[in-house]
Amino acid sequence: MSPVMSGKPSIEWHTCPFTGLPVEMAEVRAGGPKGVSIRYQCLTRAESCRPDVCPLYPPEGEEIARGGPYELPYRAERGFCSILMSALGGDGANTAAKLLFEVALTEMGLDGGLDAKYGSEKTGTPTDVSIRLTDTAAPVRASGPTRRPHILVVFHPQLTRSLGLLEGVRPDATVIVNTTGSPEEARELLELHSGTVRVLDATGIARRAKSRLNMPLLADLCRVMGFPDASLEGPISRKWPRQVEANLAAFRGAREEVRAVYFPAAGRFPLRPPRSLATRVGYNTMLNGSAIRASEFLSAPKPGSRRSLLAAPAFNREACIDCVLCLTVCPDPGALVWRDGKMAGVDPGYCKACMRCVTVCPTTKKGKALTAP
Amino acid sequence: MTRAITPVGETPATQSPYVCDGNHAAAKAILHAGYDGEGYYPITPSSDVGEAVSEAVAAGETDIEFVIGTSELAVAGIVTGMSIAGGRAVDVTSANGLLLKAEQMPVISGLGLPVILNLSTRAVSGPLNIKNSHDDLVQALGWGWIILCAPTVQAIYDMNFIALKIAERVNLPAIVAYDGFHTSHAVRKISVFADPAPLRKFLGAPAPRPTLLDFDDPKTFGPYMNDDLINNKVLLEEKMTEAARRLPEIFEEYRALSGRAYGWLQREGDPEARSILVALNSAGETAKLGLERMRSAREPVGLVIPTVLRPFPEKAFVEALEGARTIVVAERVSQYGAGNFLANEIGAALQRAGHGADILQRTYGLGGITFTEDDSLHLFDLALKFPDVPEAERRIKAYHGAWPGRTDGNGQKGAFCPLKAEDLRIGANGGSDKISLKDIVRMPDRIGQHSACPGCGIFSNLGLFLRAIEGHVVLIFNTGCGMVVTTGFPNTSFKVPYFHNLFHNGASTATGVVTMIERFRRQGRLDAGEVTVIVVTGDGGDDIGMDQVIGAALRDDPFILLEYDNKGYMNTGGQLCYTGIKGQISSNARVGPAQTGKRTHHKDIVEILRGTHAHYLFQASEIFPVDFVRKARKSQRFVREGHFVFGKVFSVCPLNWGMEASTGPDAARLAVESCFFPLLEIEHGKTKINHDPDVKKTRAPMKDLLAKLGGAFRHLASDAHSGLCAEIQTEVDRRWARLKAMHESALL
Repeated sequence: MSPVMSGKPSIEWHTCPFTGLPVEMAEVRAGGPKGVSIRYQCLTRAESCRPDVCPLYPPEGEEIARGGPYELPYRAERGFCSILMSALGGDGANTAAKLLFEVALTEMGLDGGLDAKYGSEKTGTPTDVSIRLTDTAAPVRASGPTRRPHILVVFHPQLTRSLGLLEGVRPDATVIVNTTGSPEEARELLELHSGTVRVLDATGIARRAKSRLNMPLLADLCRVMGFPDASLEGPISRKWPRQVEANLAAFRGAREEVRAVYFPAAGRFPLRPPRSLATRVGYNTMLNGSAIRASEFLSAPKPGSRRSLLAAPAFNREACIDCVLCLTVCPDPGALVWRDGKMAGVDPGYCKACMRCVTVCPTTKKGKALTAP
Repeated sequence: MTRAITPVGETPATQSPYVCDGNHAAAKAILHAGYDGEGYYPITPSSDVGEAVSEAVAAGETDIEFVIGTSELAVAGIVTGMSIAGGRAVDVTSANGLLLKAEQMPVISGLGLPVILNLSTRAVSGPLNIKNSHDDLVQALGWGWIILCAPTVQAIYDMNFIALKIAERVNLPAIVAYDGFHTSHAVRKISVFADPAPLRKFLGAPAPRPTLLDFDDPKTFGPYMNDDLINNKVLLEEKMTEAARRLPEIFEEYRALSGRAYGWLQREGDPEARSILVALNSAGETAKLGLERMRSAREPVGLVIPTVLRPFPEKAFVEALEGARTIVVAERVSQYGAGNFLANEIGAALQRAGHGADILQRTYGLGGITFTEDDSLHLFDLALKFPDVPEAERRIKAYHGAWPGRTDGNGQKGAFCPLKAEDLRIGANGGSDKISLKDIVRMPDRIGQHSACPGCGIFSNLGLFLRAIEGHVVLIFNTGCGMVVTTGFPNTSFKVPYFHNLFHNGASTATGVVTMIERFRRQGRLDAGEVTVIVVTGDGGDDIGMDQVIGAALRDDPFILLEYDNKGYMNTGGQLCYTGIKGQISSNARVGPAQTGKRTHHKDIVEILRGTHAHYLFQASEIFPVDFVRKARKSQRFVREGHFVFGKVFSVCPLNWGMEASTGPDAARLAVESCFFPLLEIEHGKTKINHDPDVKKTRAPMKDLLAKLGGAFRHLASDAHSGLCAEIQTEVDRRWARLKAMHESALL
């Protein structure tokens, strides 16, 4: 073990001679009148522990030194704390969750599971990732996404309703929301039954720091979990060696900005059960072979959909020469509206803001007709 | 996709904690076992296994031969070749992948080759589903393979060594089956051996077997057998019996080595229970939670989680279920119109042992629905109370968690009016191929809103192509991003008739459709005016389905096959496709000390198809829209005249190329100006270059293109890889010079 000069313990992995399990061992050095004393403590508690023979099993009541005892913010059945992060593909929620999970397992002495929602994850499509953490030796048996989170991290509160995010959230939850609004406004939007709403303008912090949305939200999640800020900074730096400064600036920037309010259950909003999988089309109402009738089920923009989050290009009719080049490179049918052979504008319900049209739009005497917002 | 996070420090002991998902646990085991070779073809949700191994290959951390095939069947052939040559070979797959290699599977067992297959189980279905069912696993029950199941991430790692050891002892192949996503993508802390040496010692030397590369004693493999075949099968059966005899000692040896005990099955709960739930893999693991709850309520129930499916442990099942009155066998699959797979085998075993029990069959969790603690409680409760349960639950066979749907207000009636033939006319220039861009503006979109990434090249290309096509269109898509982002049930992006069949057989499917169009028209059964069938495929679909494209071209079937070439298997997470540029980074071909991305130059499918002497082949780019639209019109004209048309369009992938979406048009232009993606058409053997950057003095070096295409290519434009960049330039120049010669001579 390497010596540490502070009172903080140095923690390393060892194999327990009694149980054969991998355990975490802390070396605690403390200065005293007779010089430095060194004490070893095992940080792992397992059912198979042998306090009768183990010299490193701390006596009843003695807390394990780790710069203070660590407690999970929530503990449900079997000692698990459940976190759900809801984001869009490309936000970096999955990577952020993995960093937190790594720290939880390697530095905080916890165990648990990480289960992401998988499928066709394209940039900009809704995604979520679940983390289950425990400070007990209970094995992680459940798999798949958690449907009963204690802590919910909402990257895009506008999608709350369409994704049914609050369905299944536990009472007295903690919800971290990326918003410029107040905790009260966020609570109204989310229709949270009870718990703490923590708001921060993660989008703004990330933009200013030239980082991503995941950093400030991870920072606040880290704080809710009670993990030392420094514990995440190392993994962040290692994960993105070329964006260390930007990411750390965004990570640290979240500290000042968070406003949190606790809302008791006042009967204002009901507690909602996890969303049922059952949809309107089932085995009695499907066409043969699960065919889809276009006249009934053609995809169309919905209010409150993810596209409302994106800023479409600005269109200046005066500068437009109707050259059609924009239409030839546009990947999203319906985004560029043409009427009577003339370009009429951009429909933000269909546009995904890729700015390809801006790239090809020619510069005329009156400038470009399409410009990035 | 998921990556292993990091090893969690080292312990002085032989094992260390390792945080990884199930696929990375399999990859770790493959690296620790010391294989000679792995064959690889990407398929969700098992793709990561090969990716992780390829990462170790690029980093120079393993000397395994990692071979990427053109299809799952090809890979099955590759590992068969490795094994018959005497190598230790491993393969990984899921779902359709397993079914595509089906014909090779009984060959491998019949030849007595100890190949290992990691199977990340997934649904196989009509409408595509990429999540977990056991449709693939049950297909393998009769193939003569040993089948071990891994309910946890830890078990995936462990079971790989047990499988390899038993396989090499009896000379039979073995499958390690685990649940796609539920286990393959679940990140957990497991224990792995810090040093593979004790594992290699555990595996020991394989049992001797005849191999191909024996020149002192040459042998014939795979002979033509007639009446003797039955004896080959008896041998196979005897090997299974031998495997059943030896497996317990191998489980025990592995327990002594690792401290982790495995057996034929896990029997949990009340040993006297008369109500028992049987559930496989991750659902069995979850059911332990329900079991805890039932026990705390003092309800006498038991749980059986099978570990070995082949050889079927009849004795272990009988012992585990002895005295049971009601057994609920939950399966993530159904045998339609018959009893379910495991339920039938358990029923038969109990009957032979003289035990009577009610066996209820419940199909659950199809297509990835998570099996929850509550689900297990429901099934335990059913086992306890049967037959004193509601009428619907009294059925012997039922589906748990399905829903009937509502008959009130399905969909949005009248949300869209079908396109009429008269609205699908260009008008102005009549029959001419060449039209003005203004002419395409009025053509209605045949595809609506979709969920592709911003700046996806598929839909700009496809949208432009369809705007130039007149009359009715039938779209047939191969599996790929284009298909996945348009038809998330119950919604669709298609305003026109559309069919997605499989990854590789769009061309053959189209042949079937155009044959019927012609027949129905002749018989007066179809009166829709002009109908153009267009097959849309990615470049991957033309790797795995190359033979079927060639078949359609040779038959000269009248439809258009349009390939969007984005240089990779983008829907499965950006794996290597043969169209990729040499040195390109893919998720299974990385850059490291031992490898620089893709090892070979890009495939030229138009040149491959030249040999079919098809009537019209072309390459087009959306960034040259006038040329593009003309080629679309010309394609339709050739189809009208009864001919097959193949077209390839350059399609950027901002996600997997790591490029800004807005730079797509610039990248597409450079692809043409660098002569990497020449605009060309081949009309019945006669080649024409449509845009000559040398003549136009717009020629760009490959280095500029590579710098523009994004992170998957940018390293090739750096000084560190200048030699490789020069080699790519030389290859592009060589192909361009040949093309120019063909352009200049009608005879070439």
